[in-house]
Amino acid sequence: MSAIDVALGLAVLMTTAAALLPRRRSAQAMGFLGLGVMMVLLWLHLGSVDVALAEAALGTGLLSALLVLLARGEADPARQHADRPSSRRRRLGRWIGTVGAWLLVTAVMSQVWLGVEQRLPAWRDPLPASMGTTGVDHEITGVLLTFRSYDTLLESAVLMLAGAAVLALSGAEIRAATWSPGETMTWWARLSAPVLLLLGLWLLFAGSSDSGGAFQAGAVLAGMLMLADAAGVGRLPVAGRLLAPLLTVGVVVFLAAAALGPLGGRVWLDWSREGAFAVVLTVEITLTLGIAAALHLLYLGLRPTQEVLR
Amino acid sequence: MTLSQTALGAVVLLPLVASALSLVLPPAARRWVGVTTAVLILLGTTIIVAAVAQGSVQELALSGHAPPLGIAMRADGLGALFLATTAAVGSLTTLYAAALPSSTGVRLDGDVPAAGHPGFWPLWLGCWAGLNAVFISGDLFNTYVGLELVGLTAVGLVALGGRDSLTAALRYLFVAVAGSLLLLLGVGLLLAVTGHLDVLRVAQTTSGLEDSGPVLLAVGLITLGLALKTALVPLHRWLVPAHAGAPGAVSPLLSGLVIKAALFVLLRCWLWILPETGDGQISGAQVLSWTLAAMGTAALMIGGATALRQDRLKPLVACSTVAQVGYWVLLLPIVTDPRAEGAVLQGALGGTVALALCHAVAKAGLFLAVGTFKEIYGTDEISALRGVGRDHPVLVLSMGLAALGLIGLPISWGFLGKWQLATSGVAAGHFWIVAVLVAGTLLSAAYLLRAVGPLLVEPEADDAARRSPHRRLRQVPRAALSAPLLLGLLTVGTGLLGSWMDQVLTVGVPW
Repeated sequence: MSAIDVALGLAVLMTTAAALLPRRRSAQAMGFLGLGVMMVLLWLHLGSVDVALAEAALGTGLLSALLVLLARGEADPARQHADRPSSRRRRLGRWIGTVGAWLLVTAVMSQVWLGVEQRLPAWRDPLPASMGTTGVDHEITGVLLTFRSYDTLLESAVLMLAGAAVLALSGAEIRAATWSPGETMTWWARLSAPVLLLLGLWLLFAGSSDSGGAFQAGAVLAGMLMLADAAGVGRLPVAGRLLAPLLTVGVVVFLAAAALGPLGGRVWLDWSREGAFAVVLTVEITLTLGIAAALHLLYLGLRPTQEVLR
Repeated sequence: MTLSQTALGAVVLLPLVASALSLVLPPAARRWVGVTTAVLILLGTTIIVAAVAQGSVQELALSGHAPPLGIAMRADGLGALFLATTAAVGSLTTLYAAALPSSTGVRLDGDVPAAGHPGFWPLWLGCWAGLNAVFISGDLFNTYVGLELVGLTAVGLVALGGRDSLTAALRYLFVAVAGSLLLLLGVGLLLAVTGHLDVLRVAQTTSGLEDSGPVLLAVGLITLGLALKTALVPLHRWLVPAHAGAPGAVSPLLSGLVIKAALFVLLRCWLWILPETGDGQISGAQVLSWTLAAMGTAALMIGGATALRQDRLKPLVACSTVAQVGYWVLLLPIVTDPRAEGAVLQGALGGTVALALCHAVAKAGLFLAVGTFKEIYGTDEISALRGVGRDHPVLVLSMGLAALGLIGLPISWGFLGKWQLATSGVAAGHFWIVAVLVAGTLLSAAYLLRAVGPLLVEPEADDAARRSPHRRLRQVPRAALSAPLLLGLLTVGTGLLGSWMDQVLTVGVPW
């Protein structure tokens, strides 16, 4: 255990407290942002660049921005606490109960977890030898889009259907709404949009040989759309008729690729070795579009409606 | 790739294609996608079940890579029976929703779209893909992803009930996510201990471990997560508002199918992964199993008592689900009993599966019938619906048949399940099961009589003024009426298939 380990561990604990303890939502959101940054550093320190990228794009970037947006729509704190009649003693009791329960759970879990004789995943040995068939060099991309592509397919379907649920609940409202809070964000959006677009594309194409991939790239692109929307660009083409086709394109192309196997006399999701890279790249590109659309839709569904109406 | 292997992939991928397709099609065309998909899934399921019934587990290593590197789909007897029931209930509910589009949901502004709620078809077809994925998954992480698909779409489907259902949907979302996280934690722990995600390989490794503590903790975490998702008392408070507030075509899917996915994973973990306990000592697994059986008994009593106090039909039927969940965990103390042999375990599993799948069919039929009354009259208050049964003999007949199965009267599938569970309990020396089953039966008879009875009695003289409540819907399409009736007939008819099902269930069991 080095000094960096200890420092990072303490920093995560402190930012967690900063995200949980404050009473104001805006302060909690800022704490969460700090926690996200610490988690990114922690993953990098552990050598998991892919997880760090995903955490940075999704957990820290998108989620924190969303939380800040929601916190902005917060009612004044006096009213917020008016409906909590609990006395100081009851609050203290609840506190002790919660902390006690968590201590108990943590103690049991950590005792078992630390005592476990861990085994390395059984796919560690055959993985490097099988990489030749996948058409890509990066092992994580190989796992996500070849060996466990079925999981990735279902995950992207989950995201698509989350978008479908938002569409079903808000429907026409989402398409009509535009949101322009003022000029504070406009210059920032203009400055950052090209950079984010470039970063997204780089993450997408880097995924075949290095860390990156559709999920991270889609999250960065969704962040760009979110900034543009918050800066009051007006109606984005993505928020109109294109929304539903973009939402589905990733899953549809993935499913078409899955059917390549049976069409060529092989099993589902098995694409031929020669064309593997082309298939994986096509799936990655369309998945990125689908993921960006789904995340953007989630943002559109969650942003504070009172500001939309104003 | 053999025909049945092609079918294995198709029953998951096809509804996904249909779900994506229906998102971009105009709302009026979506139901045709739904009906076509239902027919194709029925076909695929028939192929798979026929192959499993021949006596061999059907397996397919996706993307051409076998575990541990890849993911295998695996249909054994247990999976095939759940798959078949889902196909039957799913396609009949699809028929109902296509024939009566107003039952698919209300917009947030209270508007009932004429062509059906546009969100219903993508969400339901996605949910169906998730259900099938869970039942034929051979991989623990893949099971988690499948359950995510089911849980998320189910939350969306609840929210189609309009503004009043939003709170219930949000609460359901929190419960579903918490349950998933617990499941994921358990799966991660199992991976750390065994190095595998494939169910059979995990099972092989756990039986050879010296220290079974981590496996027990993992199964405990998974069980807690799944108990949340199946609404086992005392974790049941979310279920009644969610299932009762959902649209007419959604409630049967939620009560009949969605919670069965979690039950399936629970059975998988307890029967396949949890290692056997040694003789002569009380193990942690036994303590856990007795706790769950106690929770199940409490569910039967509390759920039944709550159902008796309801004065609206849909909440009453939802409370009945809370009660019946109790039946499905009573087998666990037999599973952890070191004295129990293969034949006893087989009987206990057969009884539990029969009870759970009979509940799927019967509860879907009951919810459809009750939902149709609500469609016609705009209310499901029992007092307002007094005597309306005279005008709707088919609906009342469907309710009666479904009630036969839920109470567990002879020749229904439910009776078979209770009989099997009771005899295995007695054979293993667990006499208490008989008492619990009898009490549960009496309570369910009481609350179902309370639901069906008032529809049949003649309105009293002083009720003459409100003799016939206002009809919102003049005519219900025949196809919509046939769905609950067919489910009711299936409840009773499947009782005759008992020995065939027992035979299918022996395919791929771990003992």
